[in-house]
Amino acid sequence: MTDRRGERRLVDARLHLLSRQVLDPDGEPVGAVDDLALAGPDGGEVEAGREAHVDAILVGPVLATRLFGGRVPDSRLPRIAWDDVGHVGTAVELTVPSDRLDAVWVERWVRDRLIARIPGGRHDPEAGA
Amino acid sequence: MKKLLAAALGILTAVGGFVDIGDLVTNAVVGSRFGMSLAWVVVLGVVGIVLFASMAGRVAAVSGRATFEIVRERLGPRAAGANLLASFAINLLTLTAEVGGIALALHLASSVEPRLWIPVAALAVWLVLWRVKFQVMENVAGLMGLLLVGFAIALFQLGPDWGELLRQAVPPSPPGAEHPASYWYYAVALFGAAMTPYEVFFFSSGAVEERWTAKDLGTNRVNVLLGFPLGGLLSLSIAACAAVVLLPAGIEVSSLSQVVLPVAQAGGVLLLAVVILGIVAATFGAALETALSSGYTLAQYLGWSWGKFRRPARAARFHLTMIVALLLAVGILMTSVDPVAVTEMSVVFSAVALPLTYVPILVVANDPEYMGEHVNGRVVNALGTVYLVIVVVAAVAAIPLMIATGAGS
Amino acid sequence: MRARARRADHRDVTRQTGRRRAAALAVVALALAGCVPSRQEPGQATAAVADALAEATSAGETTRIAVGLLDDGRITGPVADTVLLDQLRVLDDAESALTTLVPPDAASSARRTTGLDAVGDVSDAVVAARAWAAARSGGDLAGDDSVPASADDLLAELTTALDATDAALAEAGGP
Repeated sequence: MTDRRGERRLVDARLHLLSRQVLDPDGEPVGAVDDLALAGPDGGEVEAGREAHVDAILVGPVLATRLFGGRVPDSRLPRIAWDDVGHVGTAVELTVPSDRLDAVWVERWVRDRLIARIPGGRHDPEAGA
Repeated sequence: MKKLLAAALGILTAVGGFVDIGDLVTNAVVGSRFGMSLAWVVVLGVVGIVLFASMAGRVAAVSGRATFEIVRERLGPRAAGANLLASFAINLLTLTAEVGGIALALHLASSVEPRLWIPVAALAVWLVLWRVKFQVMENVAGLMGLLLVGFAIALFQLGPDWGELLRQAVPPSPPGAEHPASYWYYAVALFGAAMTPYEVFFFSSGAVEERWTAKDLGTNRVNVLLGFPLGGLLSLSIAACAAVVLLPAGIEVSSLSQVVLPVAQAGGVLLLAVVILGIVAATFGAALETALSSGYTLAQYLGWSWGKFRRPARAARFHLTMIVALLLAVGILMTSVDPVAVTEMSVVFSAVALPLTYVPILVVANDPEYMGEHVNGRVVNALGTVYLVIVVVAAVAAIPLMIATGAGS
Repeated sequence: MRARARRADHRDVTRQTGRRRAAALAVVALALAGCVPSRQEPGQATAAVADALAEATSAGETTRIAVGLLDDGRITGPVADTVLLDQLRVLDDAESALTTLVPPDAASSARRTTGLDAVGDVSDAVVAARAWAAARSGGDLAGDDSVPASADDLLAELTTALDATDAALAEAGGP
């Protein structure tokens, strides 16, 4: 993969991508890389022995299938497109703010329906308790 | 000057946070039954937590990543998942014990029944978690927990036979009346009380909360090297007070009220009030830390947004986890279970869970990808390996000993 | 079409599985350990009596200290009350340990009876102590005959009760 200096770098998917933290541009955690979606050279099916590229990161409910086996149907997978990834270091950094991602809908739901309804939920603790 | 203050406050925090309900009760029980013959375990535990916490703090400062994120990354989802389940369950048990401890301490201070204090205590803990800035919370709880130095003052005022205390400690000579299995059971329990996993989750996540970087490594070292040993001295004072006043009378400590009797004997109502206030603060601080740890571990494993430095709205599931954990703790306590019994169980299970937290930290502290040039030196690694063996032995021995001695009876 | 990127654990998976099996075994053993048979060997029964008496002695001595401290004004009313209440619970436990015991022979049965009497004496003394503490804080019990007039009377009652437990304990083979 090419990193931000435009240099090519070899990244081991198992070591450096799987289970890594995904952060948005503000450093806010988005999720963990639970699995990777691969695609063939023209975005089609992956064939053994032919070149494949990473299409998207899968976050969230895929964890259960990674633990116990089985597959989640494509239509139900929360994905973050690989194009949204900016940098891979000890964490995977995105270029898109978390609010604009579908994958974080659970967090948004808990925020809007539960936490924000409790008084003080939107208060910034660093701004002088 | 500001740096000095920062270091001082960090130390005070470590002291105040070190002596929680588990340490209070276990040290008093041990002092009343075994005298100072288990003092070596406190020393062993303090060295261990210093080693453990400094490694976790260094990892957090250098890599900006907290413990459980790293556990997930290095162990993989299955092993880390098992680790999470065990750690979360024991953390919840500890949280229950701490909230129960707050209620017991408030009962001592007033005539109001503990059951009525439980919801009040939980609500107060939650309010602080919800609104109060991390550093303020740490410093106030830590400073007030320092009032537990009243035990050390009480010990001096009791004018004990120091020679006798020393003789009990070195070489360790348990009273003949106690069975060796009980002795070793309490050794494991005391070790678990000194090295509770939540302290490490909290310390490393706290380092990320306070935005430590590699420049703060000095602060990390000072905090840890001064704070925890001071806490260890407090633990020994509690045990010694019990050894001096309660052991000769054949009293076995089974309630928090007995723990403070030596203090009253030594310094009267004034010292008693200081110590009770210290106990309220220490258990309150510990409840905050364990609640936060439950949030930290779950959020870090699942990759959620977390941190007290964020608005609750920006770390929604993290705060939800803590609310649920507190509600569960209250639920368990309202079944009229004895908080002291819960405490005694939580320290033993903490000993069992230690390897789960310890091994990943040791591994990552040696990983140059996370640590760069700050990987473990040879001495630290040597010590770390020794402690790995001790921690595993304690973990393996804990449950059989618990069964064999009927939880120490 | 998505291909799965399989991840193998770096740590030893078999060790984790082994640890989990051991943990499961431990849990089962723990659960079974709770099924203690109520019928015991004479030695065990005597040991159980001794344990209960040791608890009672502990409670009695704690009460003695608490009463002394309250009399000296070194402890507050609520704290003393909490101490005494906690000891009453301990005595409750000791008593139920004795009452639920099934002595296998006449000797154990006799020791159990002596033990129960002694624990009962200590309980009475602690109850009286609690009443005295309440009266001292200005409750309505002041002037009631059953409440000891002074700390000395109370301590005397305690000492008698504790002597009884000591005797019973010696009979049951000592601490």
